[in-house]
Amino acid sequence: MRIALTGNPNSGKTTLFNAITGKIEHVGNWPGVTIAKQEGDIKKSLYRGVEIIRVVDLPGAYSISPFSSEESITRDFVLNEKPDVIINIVDATNLSRSLFFTTQLLELGIPVVVALNKSDLLESKNIKIDLDELSKRLSCPVVKTSSTENMGLAELLKTAANRSGDEQTAPFKSKPFAVKDQESAEKIERERFVFVEELVREVENRTVASHKQTRQDAIDRIVANKILGIPIFAAVIYVIFSLSQTYVGPLLADILVGWIDALYEFAAELMGGDLSPVLSSLFLDGIIGGVGAVMGFLPLIMVLFFMLALLEDSGYMARVAMVMDRYLKKVGLSGKSIIPMVIGTGCAIPGVMATRTIRDDRQRRTTAMLTPFMPCGAKLPIIALFAGVFFGDAAWVGTSMYFVAIAIIIIGALMVRKITGESSSPAYFIMELPEYRLPSIKRALVSMFSRAKAFIVKAATIILVCNAAVHIMQTFDWNFQVVEEGMEGTSILAGIAGPFALLFIPLGFGVWQLAAAAITGFIAKENVVGTLAVVYGITNFIDTEEFELISGAGDVATVMGLTSVAALAYLMFNLFTPPCFAAIGAMNAEMDSKKWLWAGIGFQFGVGYTVAYFVYQAGTLITTGSFGSGVIPGLVAILVFVAVIASLIRSKEQKSENRIKEAV
Amino acid sequence: MDLALANKLFKRSPAVKGFELCKEGKINLTDAKINIPYMIKEINTGDQAIKDFLFTLGCYEGETVMVISALAQNLVIHVKGARYSIDDDLARAIVI
Repeated sequence: MRIALTGNPNSGKTTLFNAITGKIEHVGNWPGVTIAKQEGDIKKSLYRGVEIIRVVDLPGAYSISPFSSEESITRDFVLNEKPDVIINIVDATNLSRSLFFTTQLLELGIPVVVALNKSDLLESKNIKIDLDELSKRLSCPVVKTSSTENMGLAELLKTAANRSGDEQTAPFKSKPFAVKDQESAEKIERERFVFVEELVREVENRTVASHKQTRQDAIDRIVANKILGIPIFAAVIYVIFSLSQTYVGPLLADILVGWIDALYEFAAELMGGDLSPVLSSLFLDGIIGGVGAVMGFLPLIMVLFFMLALLEDSGYMARVAMVMDRYLKKVGLSGKSIIPMVIGTGCAIPGVMATRTIRDDRQRRTTAMLTPFMPCGAKLPIIALFAGVFFGDAAWVGTSMYFVAIAIIIIGALMVRKITGESSSPAYFIMELPEYRLPSIKRALVSMFSRAKAFIVKAATIILVCNAAVHIMQTFDWNFQVVEEGMEGTSILAGIAGPFALLFIPLGFGVWQLAAAAITGFIAKENVVGTLAVVYGITNFIDTEEFELISGAGDVATVMGLTSVAALAYLMFNLFTPPCFAAIGAMNAEMDSKKWLWAGIGFQFGVGYTVAYFVYQAGTLITTGSFGSGVIPGLVAILVFVAVIASLIRSKEQKSENRIKEAV
Repeated sequence: MDLALANKLFKRSPAVKGFELCKEGKINLTDAKINIPYMIKEINTGDQAIKDFLFTLGCYEGETVMVISALAQNLVIHVKGARYSIDDDLARAIVI
């Protein structure tokens, strides 16, 4: 049996879905978190029937006629796939709008059960709802639930299971009309609203009108203030990143790295001298060393995800969109573009997918193209590594990377607008404002651990395989002979990465080791740190002092042979080039245009190269008084990039000029 | 410069606004006073999709709308028990 979960955005569908299936899908307190359907089977503890019940969680919709693309997923599913039962999740604190959609669902002939969700909030809001009357009027069962408090879920499922195969009569029946007839369609929907209003008047008893000024408005007046809005947002972001990167994160990372080191020692002892040196080195340096280097940064990422989950749960995200709207509109984006970017600081993939709620094609595609510039959780280890090794753990390195990202996004958006031209119609901004609530520590912990698990799984699969491959390619030369010490340049890895390294000479890091790390970074950004660990034989990146003691050969910086300027250039190159393949896949899906995808990837490469070039050359000029190597070829490459963009802008301008001439 | 600024300048000068009122005979949501319910007279946008969307939210001719606050050039409005943030372009399209 299949049950579909439908309802208005932010009515708590996914929270209910997680509660009844035990899954951990992404939830957040703003409309439009779920952008694709998700399926799961009901937990045995909630339903004791013989049949397995499959639940389908659908994106929120305000009505059966879709406005944005994720709403059409919902419409298509209930109309075409004919679920056995529909559970309509209704926000109990907002009946008058929610029931509009309910009456549309009731017309489909599929049995409906209404879940009166957020019922736990009714008392504090002084709202009383006559359940029996509502059920009678809608001619379908109504169950009070609260998905956050696990209230009424078993009853809801039992009621829903019993309704399978039932007939459903519609309390409000729309008369048939010609499809194209806009006027009569509107008239019917108006009557529907009148019907709902009468119904609500009968069943609901509200003492406080919802439009009265509340504490919520008081918070809004500060948080979305004309002057204070942006500084507050900047402060919130700063707190999140400094906690994860500078304060709490590294503290926990130190402990974890100690364990990883112990594991390394233990494994080395266990193997003793029985294994061949090639195999034991593959196991110790390639796998434990490489994966361990990545795993060491797990606490930083966990702290980041924990903080982001708190932020998403609070209801603040919709306000950020509102505050940023006027600024982002100036560069041709939408206020909603900020949400993918904030999510993108955790991981670019859900970030890019979150662009789906942006209705304007150009705004959506531009946002999908620019979101990956925000340093994601997987890039955090790279930032932390370089800040620690080359800049004495300076907090400004990490924070400034986010500001550079924002600057690139603004410039990029302006360029895209120049190339594609102004939209002909204004892209209106409208977003429902959810209520603020105290973020739940429990939900944030659940989200943190589920994402930590995903990180560990990734480290134990993709990252492990990549590191092993890198280690093997580094150990052997093209004749499959073990490379002798001092002859590392003859290895397979050096052979493959060498040609790429030539391209990086103008950027200050034209050596094959660094090129190899940048290349493996496209598979997953965590690989950058892992590969560096393998190719330089470093196992501990967090505690560099300890590293000095072990090796006695100076510090990591010396091993890598980079000046701090070149290191900064390398860091920025890795942050601002195209994201990992998985994120590029997400870009492809959301842009829905090969032209945009390739233009986006090309733009990301160009930006990464240009930024690294200027950081290295200008920095070297300032610190040493002369340019770094390869200044001319690098400049030529960048001029080509600039010329391409300039010609695109010019051809657009000419086109629009011609259009004006024609019009005249 | 931008429309919002122009709008503000116009608002400061009652003579101009009076003229506008005489000429057009209608005001939109950007002119609304805070916490006063207004009846929507017309949704004046060329974009049928957004008009339909507003409709599903219960924001259509004859319904009441109230501006809760004006923040950062966006308005927080109240329609049918829910709050929305809209930008001034959309606010200008809602004639009251």
